[in-house]
Amino acid sequence: MDNELSEIYAFIGSIAPFEELPEQTIVKLVSKIDICYLKQGQQLPPAQIEEGCFYIVRKGALSYVNQLQELIGKYGEGDICTVFCYPEKYADIQVVCDEDCLLYAVNKQQLLGCLIEYPVIISFFEQSAEERLKAKVSQIQDDAVVNSSLTNTAIDQLYQTPAATIDQGASISETAQKMTELGYSCLVVIDEDKNVKGIVTDKDFRRRCIAQGITPDNAISEIMTPDITMLDVRNTAFDALITMTSLHIHHLPITDQGRLAGMLTITDLMHYEGQNAINLTSLIHKATDVDELAEISKLIPKLQVKMARLGTPAEQAGKSISAITMAFTIRLIELAEILYGKAPVPFAWVAAGSQARQEQMAQSDQDNALIIDNSLQPEQAPWFERLAQFVCDGLAQCGFIYCPGDVMATNPKWRQNEDTWHHYFSQWIENPEPKALMHCSIFFDLTTIYGDKNLLNRVQARMLMRTQGASLFIAHMSKNALQHKPPLGFFRDFVLVSDGNNKKAMDLKHNGIAPIVDLARIYALQEGITSVNTIERLKQASGTRSLSKSSGANLIDAFEFLTTLRLNHQANQLQEGVKADNFLAPKEISRLEREHLKDAFKVVKTLQENRQAVY
Amino acid sequence: MFDFLFGLEAKRRGLSTKVPKGPLKNFLSVPFPEPNTPISEVPMLALDFETSGFNATTDHLLSIGHVEINQLSIKLASAEHYLLKSGIERAGDNVAIHQITELESQQGLSLENAIERLLNAMAGKVILVHYAKIEQTFLAAACKALYGYAPVFPIIDSLVVAKNRLDQRQAAYDPSNLRLTNLRDSYQLPAHYAHNALNDAVATGELLLAEIAHHHSRQKPLKHFLR
Repeated sequence: MDNELSEIYAFIGSIAPFEELPEQTIVKLVSKIDICYLKQGQQLPPAQIEEGCFYIVRKGALSYVNQLQELIGKYGEGDICTVFCYPEKYADIQVVCDEDCLLYAVNKQQLLGCLIEYPVIISFFEQSAEERLKAKVSQIQDDAVVNSSLTNTAIDQLYQTPAATIDQGASISETAQKMTELGYSCLVVIDEDKNVKGIVTDKDFRRRCIAQGITPDNAISEIMTPDITMLDVRNTAFDALITMTSLHIHHLPITDQGRLAGMLTITDLMHYEGQNAINLTSLIHKATDVDELAEISKLIPKLQVKMARLGTPAEQAGKSISAITMAFTIRLIELAEILYGKAPVPFAWVAAGSQARQEQMAQSDQDNALIIDNSLQPEQAPWFERLAQFVCDGLAQCGFIYCPGDVMATNPKWRQNEDTWHHYFSQWIENPEPKALMHCSIFFDLTTIYGDKNLLNRVQARMLMRTQGASLFIAHMSKNALQHKPPLGFFRDFVLVSDGNNKKAMDLKHNGIAPIVDLARIYALQEGITSVNTIERLKQASGTRSLSKSSGANLIDAFEFLTTLRLNHQANQLQEGVKADNFLAPKEISRLEREHLKDAFKVVKTLQENRQAVY
Repeated sequence: MFDFLFGLEAKRRGLSTKVPKGPLKNFLSVPFPEPNTPISEVPMLALDFETSGFNATTDHLLSIGHVEINQLSIKLASAEHYLLKSGIERAGDNVAIHQITELESQQGLSLENAIERLLNAMAGKVILVHYAKIEQTFLAAACKALYGYAPVFPIIDSLVVAKNRLDQRQAAYDPSNLRLTNLRDSYQLPAHYAHNALNDAVATGELLLAEIAHHHSRQKPLKHFLR
């Protein structure tokens, strides 16, 4: 007979924080419910209820309104109104029934009493959406440290043993000879009893010997670094990394029970990380043709998977991938110069979009352009056309698909001299028609990949001077930016779209990440911020009239959460050999993550609404 | 209508002297709520019976569900649902409809225990039902069989409350509009699983709350709602 209120049990068991509760707790919780009915327009709490209650919306919708009568949130079926339980957090908020409402009221103390064994749920209630998101993001960052392979690796798997040593009585020149023979950049200096006395590195010869005028016949002990830091072999590789970074050293003698056991260098740590960005970049620099580059590019998805698995924050992953794309582009330009000769006049190869913002992921499109020195003569133009063709084709071979919107240097429109670029920008800003606005959102995020940085710097500086005062232009940009809405329904449920394979999913890029990128760009244009990286823009815009400090922090949290979610989603796809995309099906992530995702979307929505209110 | 409750209160007093000691007498010894009490202050008991048919003399009571309504809030803490042993073997196909398995019905209460429990819950309250005839006739038949007398009690029939409202509009309406499910739909109340006595009692309570919120003042005296 336990199923007597089965519908209510099922309903309570289906809403976010209660999903994981065992049946008997749900039954207990339901027995605390008072069912109330409020008509549209009526205010909460209902007349008959005096004490603080949670209100679970069974049917209908609630609006939260602040003192200025501004709508700050809408809640629908399955949402829980906590306003009257935490009055200190929600001072001056009115809750009004937006529709006729059937509400399940539960006294605060009684509800918390039922949940005493579930502190996670209690803290869910105690935190606002923004706070929950913040907690989640810092957890991701903690994960990055915990999951890092370095943390799980003992030093003894990495260090070189025995350490190369030299007697403290040896002369400087003898030491130098030994280092050259061994091919080492560092030796440990010991006494007759093999006690460690100091360390000597390449640098010491330059700084302490030659620069000080000490003759090479002197003892090595005169130029060594005494009082060195050593680490016991039982520490983790991560401890070693922290020690080296904090002391700015690249060599760390390793001891075992106080005795010198070996040497660990920063390069050892990097080698261990394997296909890391630095390795890949150096491979790229050595490639001699496009085929070789294409071969190397196959490692990018693997790198992205690895970073995701290591718990690397998306910001860092985006920077690494962008750096690699940059290396590919540079190498392609260098190969073009070998093929077609040096450039006739100075130029800047610039990247737009996610690469410029350093937020690139594997398999994203290429967006690029050329800014050429004003001295360009018509007969020199074909060189640049050939360059553009070579580089864009090369990038395509390396897996960076051609830009569907033809924003590439191969398009003559985007291969122009500096004056034409100045002209473009001033036209777009003065006549913000739809197409101009689209171009603005692409070309306001630019960075020089290769060539003369001054060309782009001048274009950008003049453009930012214009945008700061151009309120009409900013208004149009804002309107344009608000077209991408978070996929949240009226009632905080996800709005799903088809992912192209007829599966229902959320478009993380267009409905979550792009809106934040767009907002950050507008803040940057309004405040004259030159950075193009979204987090950098938000950091710099925080505390200006465009963006409050707390809103800025919330947006950064939301951005980090969304991009990290995408990184992991794409890592799963890449690992399965599927093309990476931005479509996340809600069931791919845990229930709690779904709630965090809603919170992130909510933050975006709020800031968009604020923006809308300004213009 | 005024006279009805005053009359009812008089009947209660008269009857309580005649009825032998026991659950019915106890029930009748508690005064009914004052007819001028604002509806929001009236203690109510939303009640539903599941029966094997519509005839109180030939059909049988299968289960009882009720829940208290105080201050226009339905108190799920007070929700009760119990099954009866009686007459189950003759209930036939209807048992399946009412989602009561034979095993459950064998574990049910005797009619005597069930009615005693019900009368205890009803004492001092106005009884809220949707289409009161079933509950009235079955309870009367049961009490007559058990105690020799049928009880009197104040009833709000949510069907009648809705009917009166619709009749005042002078527009024709389909009588099926008065069914519990359809009335709930008209207030966009969530779909409920019918044919469970407690679910129906809660559903009836929700309907009355919606009815009052939309068409009546919280201060409106009880007497206007009584059947």
